[in-house]
Amino acid sequence: MIKNDSPMVKITDIHKVFFPDMHVLRGIDLEVKKGETVAILGASGSGKSTLLRCINFLEEPTAGTVEVDGITIEAGENDKQRNGRIRDIRKRTGMCFQAFNLFPHMTVLENIIEGPVTVLHQKKEAAIAYAEQLLQWIGLSEKRGEHPSRLSGGQQQRVAIARSLAMKPKVMLFDEPTSALDPELVGEVVEVMERLAKEGMTIIAVTHELHFARDVADRILIMDNGNWVEQGPPEKIFNNPEQERTRQFLAHIL
Amino acid sequence: MKADTNFSEGSGIPAEARKTLLQIETDRATYKRKLIISFIILAIAMIMVLIALKLDFRFMKTQLPFIFAGMGYTLFVSFMAISLASFLAIVGALGRLSKNPVFNSIASSYVSLIRGTPLLVQVYMWYLALPQIGKALEGYGFTGIQAFFTLPALTAGILALGVCYGAYMTETVRAGIQSIDPGQTEAANALGMTRSQTMKRIIFPQALRVIIPPVSNEFIAMIKDSSLVSLMGVWELSYRAIKMGRRHFQSLEMLITVALIYWMMCILLQYFQEKLETHMARGDRSIR
Repeated sequence: MIKNDSPMVKITDIHKVFFPDMHVLRGIDLEVKKGETVAILGASGSGKSTLLRCINFLEEPTAGTVEVDGITIEAGENDKQRNGRIRDIRKRTGMCFQAFNLFPHMTVLENIIEGPVTVLHQKKEAAIAYAEQLLQWIGLSEKRGEHPSRLSGGQQQRVAIARSLAMKPKVMLFDEPTSALDPELVGEVVEVMERLAKEGMTIIAVTHELHFARDVADRILIMDNGNWVEQGPPEKIFNNPEQERTRQFLAHIL
Repeated sequence: MKADTNFSEGSGIPAEARKTLLQIETDRATYKRKLIISFIILAIAMIMVLIALKLDFRFMKTQLPFIFAGMGYTLFVSFMAISLASFLAIVGALGRLSKNPVFNSIASSYVSLIRGTPLLVQVYMWYLALPQIGKALEGYGFTGIQAFFTLPALTAGILALGVCYGAYMTETVRAGIQSIDPGQTEAANALGMTRSQTMKRIIFPQALRVIIPPVSNEFIAMIKDSSLVSLMGVWELSYRAIKMGRRHFQSLEMLITVALIYWMMCILLQYFQEKLETHMARGDRSIR
């Protein structure tokens, strides 16, 4: 009972200040349940990406606590096991970037098995077998031997998703995964994300993709100036927002 | 011409476009032909100048085997010095990028000191001045240490060249590492890789591709700078050429001979560099 209710990701009172006085996150709390899909929306510069990057410590929070799958790390604490714990969180969280960030010197297959082989010390054959399943799942089996530069943006982002999934993560973080894509390629990436959500993955996505936010996400959070403005189920946020700031923002993207 | 076979009638390309395309292709072929002709004329002119100088080609030919016998030393010194320089460059670059103040300051001082002093002075420093340091150390009670500080000419030359080029290459490697998109490090970190895994698996292989042209450039320079060990009486290519030239009062012949040998070696090296670059560029969109 307690175990089921305990959140997969729990962020408590996170602040992020960039030197000397850029206060990007101003005391953010966030709880995401296992299997929940959360979409974070907000104007550019509002701190969405920074918050997402604080979850796996690509960005070091200035104050606050991050808890992922039971691993807790406090900002500013300084003990010897900390780097190891950060890596433990990273092994449990997959992340997809706006610019895909595939490894250009490796083939698609090599990209996908890199994490399992190097970080999890899996046998190469086992990693390849699982990678092939993933490739089939994203519909790119025939591209296994290609280098990323030969793929379209949409294909690259799907491979990036597969690369994250190869680590068998508990949470997936998406940092504007479709913003760098040509409009006609957005659909194929969102479709993969949608299937992932349906299969029960816990997802935190920073995205302005309307179909994903409205139809896939269980909950929407609106951020402005480093604080939550409003949160709730998509129907409520889109049809009946409480805050004036939410209305203004939605007017821009709709 | 290949161009017109590619576009059969009825492929939908208008005749005018096909004509322009053909013209572009012809122009390119003409340019290539003219370029080759220019090179040939230049080569003939050079040979004619050599003949006009009334060079003693027979003397050059008889001395050739003697000079060539120095090739072994030249190649050995270059190869050993390049290996040492590559090792120092990687360690130095990691030091220059290190957040450890001790490591970083040592690497920065190394680069600054070595790049800031003439190679000629460094060569003599290793060969002539080091024994004096050994002597001073013996004065402090390190008996027997002077023997280690008195280096044979070959060793001193390799150390001088390797340490010197290592400093230049440190900066090349550092720049190569820094040229890699930070997103690569982030992606590797997000997978849970450690710092050294990220460097070894993700950053360094990509940096290698970037630094091959400048590093090859330094290798080529090193082949020629290996002639500096002749100062210490190592019988490599240039030492032999200079010695023979002086003995027979035919320095011009000997210097031209040895210059041509170096040139050929560098052309060969450049050929391998191009091969390597093409090989490393696999997966790069710009290479077909």
